[in-house]
Amino acid sequence: MTELLQAVILGLLIGGVYALMASGLTLVFGVMNIINVAQGAFLIFVAMVTWWLWKHTGIDPILASVITTPMMFGLGWVLYRTVIVRIRGSSPSMSVLLTFGLALTIEGILNITAGNKFKSATPSYFEESFRVGDISLPKSQVYGFLAAMLVLAVLYVVLTRTWMGRAIRASSQNPSGAALVGVGATSTAALAFALGASTSGVGGSILSVLYPFFPASHYDWISRLLGIIVLGGMGSLPGALVGALVLGLAETLTATYGSLRWATLVFYVVILAVLLFRPQGLFGTRLREDVAV
Amino acid sequence: MHRLGSVPRSHLVALLALLVLALYPAVQPYDTYYQTVLFTTFMIGVQAVSWNIISGYGGYISLGHSAFLGIGSYTAAIIALHSGVNPLWVAPLGGVVAVVLAVLVGSVVLRTRGHAFVIITIALLLSAQIVATNWRSLTNGSDGITLDLPPWSRDIQNIPFYLIMLFLFTFTVLFSALIRRTKFGTGLVAIREDEGKAAAIGVDTTRYKVTAYAASAFFIGVAGGVYAYFLTFLNPVGSFSILGSVTIVLAALAGGRGTLYGPVVGAFIVGIGSEMATVYGGSSSRVLIFGLALMIIVLFLPDGLLPTFQKAWRRYRPADTEYTDQAGALGAGTMQVRDRELASAVVADEVEASAEKLAGKPLLEVKGASKAFGGLVAVDGADLVVKQGTITALIGPNGSGKTTLFNLVTGAMKADSGQVWLDGTRIDTKKPWERGHMGLARTFQTTRLFKSMTVLENLVAPLPDAKWSTMLKPSVAGDEAVRARELLAFVGMEKFAAQPAGALSYGQQKLVELAQVLMLEPRLVLLDEPAGGINPSLVGRMVEIVRDLNRQGVTFLVVEHNIPMVLELCDPVVVFSHGKAIAEGPPQTIREDPAVLDAYLGDEWRPPAVTGTPAASDRPQGVR
Amino acid sequence: MTDQMSHPAPPQPPRLRTTWRAGRRLALLGTATCAALLLAACGGGSAPGSSGGGGDSAAAKDTPITIGISLPLTGDFSQPGGEAKRGYQVWADMVNADGGVLGRQVKLKIVDDASNQDTVVADYTKLMTQDKVDLVLGTFSSLLNFPASAVAEKNGYVFVEPAGGAPNMFSRGFEYLFFAQPATAPHQADVFVDYVKSLPADKRPQTAAYPTQDDPFTRPVIESMQKQLEALGVKTVFSQVYPADTTNFQSIANTLKNKKPDLIAQGAVFEDGVGLVRSLKQLGYTPKALFQTSAPSNAGQYSDGVGAANTEGVFYTVSWNEQAKTPLNPEFVAAYGKAYDAALPAEDAADAFAAAQVLQKAVEATKGVDQDKIKDWLHANEVQTILGPLSWSAKGEPQGDFILAQWQSGKVQVVGPADAATSETIVYPKPPWS
Repeated sequence: MTELLQAVILGLLIGGVYALMASGLTLVFGVMNIINVAQGAFLIFVAMVTWWLWKHTGIDPILASVITTPMMFGLGWVLYRTVIVRIRGSSPSMSVLLTFGLALTIEGILNITAGNKFKSATPSYFEESFRVGDISLPKSQVYGFLAAMLVLAVLYVVLTRTWMGRAIRASSQNPSGAALVGVGATSTAALAFALGASTSGVGGSILSVLYPFFPASHYDWISRLLGIIVLGGMGSLPGALVGALVLGLAETLTATYGSLRWATLVFYVVILAVLLFRPQGLFGTRLREDVAV
Repeated sequence: MHRLGSVPRSHLVALLALLVLALYPAVQPYDTYYQTVLFTTFMIGVQAVSWNIISGYGGYISLGHSAFLGIGSYTAAIIALHSGVNPLWVAPLGGVVAVVLAVLVGSVVLRTRGHAFVIITIALLLSAQIVATNWRSLTNGSDGITLDLPPWSRDIQNIPFYLIMLFLFTFTVLFSALIRRTKFGTGLVAIREDEGKAAAIGVDTTRYKVTAYAASAFFIGVAGGVYAYFLTFLNPVGSFSILGSVTIVLAALAGGRGTLYGPVVGAFIVGIGSEMATVYGGSSSRVLIFGLALMIIVLFLPDGLLPTFQKAWRRYRPADTEYTDQAGALGAGTMQVRDRELASAVVADEVEASAEKLAGKPLLEVKGASKAFGGLVAVDGADLVVKQGTITALIGPNGSGKTTLFNLVTGAMKADSGQVWLDGTRIDTKKPWERGHMGLARTFQTTRLFKSMTVLENLVAPLPDAKWSTMLKPSVAGDEAVRARELLAFVGMEKFAAQPAGALSYGQQKLVELAQVLMLEPRLVLLDEPAGGINPSLVGRMVEIVRDLNRQGVTFLVVEHNIPMVLELCDPVVVFSHGKAIAEGPPQTIREDPAVLDAYLGDEWRPPAVTGTPAASDRPQGVR
Repeated sequence: MTDQMSHPAPPQPPRLRTTWRAGRRLALLGTATCAALLLAACGGGSAPGSSGGGGDSAAAKDTPITIGISLPLTGDFSQPGGEAKRGYQVWADMVNADGGVLGRQVKLKIVDDASNQDTVVADYTKLMTQDKVDLVLGTFSSLLNFPASAVAEKNGYVFVEPAGGAPNMFSRGFEYLFFAQPATAPHQADVFVDYVKSLPADKRPQTAAYPTQDDPFTRPVIESMQKQLEALGVKTVFSQVYPADTTNFQSIANTLKNKKPDLIAQGAVFEDGVGLVRSLKQLGYTPKALFQTSAPSNAGQYSDGVGAANTEGVFYTVSWNEQAKTPLNPEFVAAYGKAYDAALPAEDAADAFAAAQVLQKAVEATKGVDQDKIKDWLHANEVQTILGPLSWSAKGEPQGDFILAQWQSGKVQVVGPADAATSETIVYPKPPWS
C-alpha cells in the first residue's frame, strides 16, 4: 500500500513537470499548426545553461529559471522572426523538417561546447526528502512540481487575462478574423512561439536538477512530450496537463509493478492507442479544417 | 506529345552511370575503400528513393524511416542465426516484415490526415529500439547479434556487397519510376497537393497512403539484411539510429523531394560528402552539420538541387510548349462543343437513358442532417431532395450552411446526425471516394486543381472505381487520355492540356475543374459557386455547358450567388437559411416569395426580365 | 586531422596512380560516375596484400611505423574516444622519446568515425587497403569494435582492442582479435565475489539486489556476480534490467527500500549509478554494501554527482588504477598529467595505452610488422602492461583479473586482490548516507 501510494505520488510529481514542458509545445501547435520538434532541444539547452550557471555562480538551479525564462522568450522571438517566419504558408511538413534541423543544430552546438557527457545540477537539497509517515517526497521533485504548477498558472492567466494572451488565442481560433481587428498574425505568432519557448526556460531548469542529461537526450524528451499532447489533444492546454499526469503515473506504475525496461514504451503504446480510438485526444476539439476524413 | 524515339536525357545519364558503376569493380577489384564508400552511398540511395514514395510523392514526412533498415537487419540476422542460411538469401524476408509493419502502423495512423504520422514515425523508430533491446530471447538484447564473416575469398572483399546493393538501388529507382507513372503515383501527388480534393474525385486516400508507406518500406528492409551481413554485427543502438533517418531525409531533400532522380543525386551528395567530411573535416560534429544543412535546405532550397538546377536550365534553354493563347477558352471553343463530340465525350451511358422517363424520381435525398462546429450550428436538421434530371439551385445568405451541406453530401465532413441517400442507397456512412465511385461529383467554391500537375494530368487524376488494377494503370494513356482531351475540348480548354494547372486564370481553372469531375461520369454534380469570381463572358459559357450536360441526363445541384444566373438556369430553387431549407419552388415563385425576399434577397433586389420557360412545378413549400 | 602519410613503397607492381593522393581521388568520387569512369580507365588492378598491408621489415629504418586508428571523437562515444586518443598519444610520445619501436619512430594516424558504424568500417577499410598502414589499433565501444574487428579479420590485420569485452565478441572465432583488458565482462566481478567469500559466513550479506543497466558491459558482470553469489547462499531479493535511457531511479529505489537487501550490486554505466545513489539517499535507505560497475571509476565526476561524502564505502571493479604498481604505470600517469593539465588519466586512456603496449611488445618480439607472426606470438605469450600481465585464449579472450577498488574518505583505494591492495582497511558495512 505504501509502495502504491509512493508510486502514485512520484508519478503525479513527475507528471506536473511534464505538463509544464508540454504546454509550450501544445501552445505553439495550437496557434501556428507547427509541431516544434526542437522543443526537446530547447529543454536540454536550458538545462545546460542552468547547470553552467549553477556550477559557476552557485545560483539555485530552479531559481535560475528567473534568468533562463526571459532568455528563452527572447531566443524564441528571435528564432521566429529570423527563421521560422520564412516558412509561414509552406506546407506543415516543412515546419517539421525545419524544427527537426533546428533540434539537430542545437544538439550539435551543445556537443561541441558542453561536451558529450551526462550532467546534472546537484544543489544542497537534491538528496533530501520531506517525510510524511512512510512516504518520502524528494525535495527537488516537490520544488520542481511547485515551480511547474506556478508557471502553468501564470501561463493560464497570461493567456486568458492579458491582451497578448487574448490576441494569441484569437489568432489560433480565427487568424483572418483576428487580423481584421488588428491582431497581426506575424507578431502574434512570434509572441506565441516566444511564450512556448519560454516554458522550456522553467522546464529545462527543473530538468537539470531532476534528471541527468546530455546533448542527445532531447529525442527522449520530445517523444515524451509529443506523447503527452497527442494524449491530451493537440493544441489543448488542459489536455497537456491531464495527459502529462496520466503518462507520469503510467510510467511510474509500470516501472514499479511491471518492468522498468518497458516503462518507456508505455508512452508510445499510449500514442498509438489514442490515435486508434480517439484521434483528437482527450481534450481535443475537432475544428472545421481537421474534421475532414 | 512525345517526340518519337526520344528517351529523356535524364534516363540516358542514369543508365550510363549505372553501367559505369556496375563495371567498376570488374576493372578495379582492389579499390576496397571506394567500394565501401559507394556501398554506403547506394544504401542511402535505396532508403532515400524509398522514402520519397511516401514523403516525396505522398507528402507525408517520415522522420523514422531508418527503422525499416533495422527491422530488415534483424529479420535477416535472426533467421540466419537460427537456420544457418546465409543472410543474403533471407534478406527479402526482411523486406516483407518491414512491409507488414508499415501496413499495421500505417493503417492506424494514416486513416486520418495531419500531424499524427510524423509523430508516429519518430515513435516507431524509438520503440523499435526499445523492443529490440528488451526482447532478449529474440534479439539478444543490447549485446546484439554477430554474424559469420562471408564465406567468399578475402581477395574479393566487399565486391559482392557492392554489386548486390547496386542492384537493389537500381531496382528501387525502377520501382519508384513505375509508381510515378501509374494512377497510384498520380494519386499520391494529388494527396500531397490537396488530400480533400483527392478524396472527392474518387481517390481512396487511406489505401493510397498505407500502400505508399508499405511500398516505401520494402527495399529498405531488404537492404537491411544485406547491410547487417556487411557489418557482421547489429545491435539496437546502431540499427535504429536517428542519425540514419536524418541521413535519409537530408539526401532526399537535398536532391529534390518528389522527383524521381532527386533522391538519387542526394544520396551521392550525402554519402560521398559525409565521407569527405570525415577525411578532411576533422573533428566537427556531424550532428551539427546535418542540422544546419537541413535548415538551410528547407529555408533556401526547399525544392532541392535537381529541380532548382532544372529550372535554371530551362530558363537558359526554354523548351517548346504547347502553350498557345490565354483567350483560347473563349471564342472558338464555344462553338466546337456544340457541334461535335458531345455524345462520345460526355456521359455516354446517360444519353441512352431517357431523361424524361427518369425525371421526377429523387436522386439525392438529405434527411434531417445536422452539423455543428463547437457551439455554431452550421446545418440544422436540413432536408433536401434533388430530383433526377433537374438543375436544382441552392441559394441563401453567406453562412447559411450551403457549403457545409455540400461537405456532408460528399463526405468531406461527417454529419452529427441525419442521413444522405443517393439513388436509393444510403451513403452518409461511406467514404468520399466511394461516393465518387457511385457517381457523385463536386466542384469547389475556390477551385482546387492540383497546381503542380498539368491540366491533362488533372483530368486523368480522378478514379472511377476502387479496383487495384485501376490503381496500377498508367496515369496518362489509352482511351482515358482520349476522353480527357475530348472533355477538355468540350469545355474549350484543349489547348492548355500541357500547361501547369496553376498557370491558368481563375475562370479557366473552374472550367478545367468541371471537366475533371466529368471524368468520373457522374450522375449528380454539385457545383459550388460556378460563376463566382469569374469573367462575365465565362459565366455564359458555364451556363451553356451545364445545360448541355443536363440535356444528356446529368443532374446538378448548384450553390450560386449570381441570382440572375440561378433564375435563368435552375429549377427548382431551394432557399437555405440558418442551416435549413426555408423555401423551395420554381424560380418565379421563389422570386416573389416575400419570406425569401426578407430572409435573403433584401430590398435592393429587382427581378430581371425572365427568359426561358420554366417547367411547371410544385407550389412553393412555404416557410417553415 | 592527422597528416597524410607517405606510402611505404608496397612490394607490388607499379601502378599508374600511385602518386595520386588518396584524398584527391576521394574528391573525384564526388562526381561518382566520372570518378568511376576515370578509375576504370586507369586500368590494371594490384594484388591485395595477402597477409595485410605493410608487412615488409626490410623497409628503411628511417620510415616511421604507421599505426592506423579510428576513434569516436565526436558523437555518442566521444568521451571514451577522446580519452583513448590521449592514451594512444601518450604511448606514442613515450615510445618515440625512447627511440621508437625497432628503431623506427611511431606515427599515429587517427581518424574520427563520429560514433558511426558505417564510418568506422570505411575508416578501417581505408587505413588498411588504401593507406596501407603498418599496424592498426582498436577503437572504443563494442558497437564500433564489432564491425571494425571484422574488417581487420577480413584484411588479416591484428586488431588489439582497448574496449569491447562483451562475451559474444569472442564467439566468432576471430584469429586476429585481442582484447587488451585483464578480463571479459563475465569475469570482471570475480574479484568482488572472492572478497565476499573471504568474509566469515555470518558477516556476509544475506540478501542482495541486482539492478543493472541493459548494457553489454555491465549486465554480464552483474548476471555473473548474481550467479556466483547465489551459489554462496546469498539470497536474491531483486533482480532487474533497466533500459539505458532510464533517468528516473526513484521507482527502483522505492522497491529496494521495501526489499531491504544487504547488498546492492548495480550494473551502472555512469549517470545511472549517480541516479540510483541519489534516489536511495532521498528515500533514506542505506544497504550494508554497495557495489557498482563502472560508474564509481569516473573519479571526480562520480564524487561530484553523488556528493563526496556519499562515496564512502562504494565498491567497484576496474581494469586499472592510477596507484597500481605495475611497470611503467607511474610514468604513464606522469606523462599524461604533463600533457593534459595535470589531469588524472581515465581508465579508458589507460586501456588504450595498454593496447598499444601489447602491440609494441609483439612487434618487438617478432622483429617486424608481419601480421601473422604478431598474431601467433600474441596467442603464445604473456605481455606485461600497465594493467598487469595479459594473455589470451585462442579466441582472443584475456585470462586475468580485475582489481577491486573502494571509495574511502573521498579517495579511491585498491582493496583487492591482496597483492595489489593500496589499503588494508575495507569499509564494511557502509555508513549511512550523510
